[in-house]
Amino acid sequence: MANTKEIQRRIKSISSTKKITKAMEMVAAAKMRRTTEAVLRTRPYANLSWVTVLNLAKAVNSNGTIHLLLSERKDIKKVAIVLFSSNRGLCGGFNSAIMAKARNSIIKHNNLPTDFIVIGKKGLAVNSRYKYNVSAQFEKNDTASEIKEVQALAKMMIDDFLNKKYDKVLVAYTDFVNPAKQVPRVKQILPIDVNAEDDHLGIVGKDEKLGVDKEFVKEKQDKYLSKGEEKFLMTYEPSAEEVLNQMLPRLIEVQLFQALLESNASEHSARMSAMNKATEAASDLVKELTLFYNKARQASITAEIAEISAGANALE
Amino acid sequence: MASKKEIKFEIVTPEKTLMKEPVLQVTVPTESGEITVLPEHAPLVSILKPGVLEVVKTDNTLEVIAVAGGFVEVLLNKIVILADSADRASEIDEEEAEKARKRAEESLKNLRSEDRERFAEITAQLERELAKSRSVKRWRNLNRHIK
Repeated sequence: MANTKEIQRRIKSISSTKKITKAMEMVAAAKMRRTTEAVLRTRPYANLSWVTVLNLAKAVNSNGTIHLLLSERKDIKKVAIVLFSSNRGLCGGFNSAIMAKARNSIIKHNNLPTDFIVIGKKGLAVNSRYKYNVSAQFEKNDTASEIKEVQALAKMMIDDFLNKKYDKVLVAYTDFVNPAKQVPRVKQILPIDVNAEDDHLGIVGKDEKLGVDKEFVKEKQDKYLSKGEEKFLMTYEPSAEEVLNQMLPRLIEVQLFQALLESNASEHSARMSAMNKATEAASDLVKELTLFYNKARQASITAEIAEISAGANALE
Repeated sequence: MASKKEIKFEIVTPEKTLMKEPVLQVTVPTESGEITVLPEHAPLVSILKPGVLEVVKTDNTLEVIAVAGGFVEVLLNKIVILADSADRASEIDEEEAEKARKRAEESLKNLRSEDRERFAEITAQLERELAKSRSVKRWRNLNRHIK
């Protein structure tokens, strides 16, 4: 039987690990609360601007030309994927799930040449693990709450798209459904697909409590833009094109921002549950080791008594 | 006075929803000039300019909001403002705003002329800060009248 000192030492070390995981769990829970609030606060803007763009796009399309950021390219030579990952590990399968999802979507698209733009440190593993090319990496703030943090990224993606460096830009992020469920998703952000009506960031696949807003889009169209059969003509100032020119980049920023916030919220809840499990596992281990320890102690006491009584017997 | 007509009003930024309530009228700084939207205004979409937004609430009090660019959308009896950023004048720290404005002016002066992008960035920032300072002043003026 292992000696008691050894077991005691292990119990002590596991208990202190347990303290750390417990603390990390609590930190993650607090951050999760903050990031979920941020997601919810962004959603109205994302939804409202999306609906406006939808209507705008229709108005401009009727003039014949399609805006560059909206037009689908026939010949797709190169694709970019913006991958949102975490800065630190210890968050369960968070990073590997999103990377696997991105990889699947590349395979599904016949392995088109793809560049990754990685947000957060851990996403760099797409290069080391899957050998995909990483063209840029951005730092991120764990609890981002300002749209400024994605503006540089949005500008880069729009420029690269317009310069024909990429013909399609996808975003791979983890959708926060609820604290126990996060879903990795890959969505197209460029060109903006106005036909995928409810398939944009921030509306789709939401838990009811977090505010499904799919109905909202319809409602707005029904309630505010057409009264019965009569359609209202919008006035655009200075012109529909100009408004669209200014609004589309904002929309992309907002979508990226939304993806960032969703990923952050998912990351923290993934970390929270991973740490929760670790804490539980540590508790189990401590329990088991304590049992061992007691057995060992008892065994040594029994042995000692046996020795003493044997000695006493010998003296008689 | 007979009950006045109301129009729904909502002002959101990417970070938050600042206000969402029915109002009597809203004055908005757009790129083609300042417009005042009353109930039953025709549907309109326009680009916002950094500036001061004035809202007449249903209890006839005025709310002054500093906005920094964005869009205004008037639907059937509903105004939606998609602002890049928005702050209530009553919540802006005047000294802070003034300092930020000075800082922006300063960095504009020190800027080398070649750096176009940075120039645009700082000019935009300056306009934002100016809008903030102006809105605070406007807010103070209004309150003086009331007193």
